[in-house]
Amino acid sequence: MVDVEQIYNDYKEHADFLTVYVREAHPADEWQMKSNVKDDVCYAQPKSLEQRVAIARDFTTRFKYPLPFGIDDMSNLADAAYSAWPERLYIIDETGRIAYRGGMGPFNYKPAEVRDWLASRYGVVKHETAPAPASAQPTTAPAAAAEPKK
Amino acid sequence: MKRFFKWAACALAVLAVAAFVMLSFMAGSPKDVYGMVRYALPHIHRGNLKVGSDAPDVRLVALDGENRFHIRERTGARPLVIVFGSFT
Repeated sequence: MVDVEQIYNDYKEHADFLTVYVREAHPADEWQMKSNVKDDVCYAQPKSLEQRVAIARDFTTRFKYPLPFGIDDMSNLADAAYSAWPERLYIIDETGRIAYRGGMGPFNYKPAEVRDWLASRYGVVKHETAPAPASAQPTTAPAAAAEPKK
Repeated sequence: MKRFFKWAACALAVLAVAAFVMLSFMAGSPKDVYGMVRYALPHIHRGNLKVGSDAPDVRLVALDGENRFHIRERTGARPLVIVFGSFT
């Protein structure tokens, strides 16, 4: 996410940004990775919107995530419409059409391609000030509704 | 003929084991292969969106858990970069 935050900081004067939180990729009750345990990112797959919202809030709080944020509801319509899971990048142009469609993450998730698209329009922008480093420790206790577990 | 099937079954078994070992190596562990097949494959879909397609409009939930807004409300004035993802 650091790459995306840097792109946001560099190009937010030219483009709008939106993060859309979709169903978990590696929840504790499904395909949990060792890295989730190492990074203390252990959540069960949300069964309700309240749980999904609680995890989204944990994420934005813990990483002081600056991008505008929306959450796919439990019908997963955004995921279905954009083939979003587990992660994917898009750019929609001013006419409402897809201008860039990234590949499926994690292997084809390439923020550099978004940066290139923006640079081709607005020139290379690279602000000196990097976004605040992501904290390794939660700043708040995980919300009870999220039922985090290891 | 019976012998052919016997050899074919052996070859398939060897291929299956080789594929499992290779996937275990790529994914990290045998448990990850299970996770990939059980939880990832059912959710992977390429979809039909292409550059030039109309961007689908979807209603999203705001971080407060109460308000709703549409992706279309955020488009029009400037390009909109959308980052889809989750915490884990």
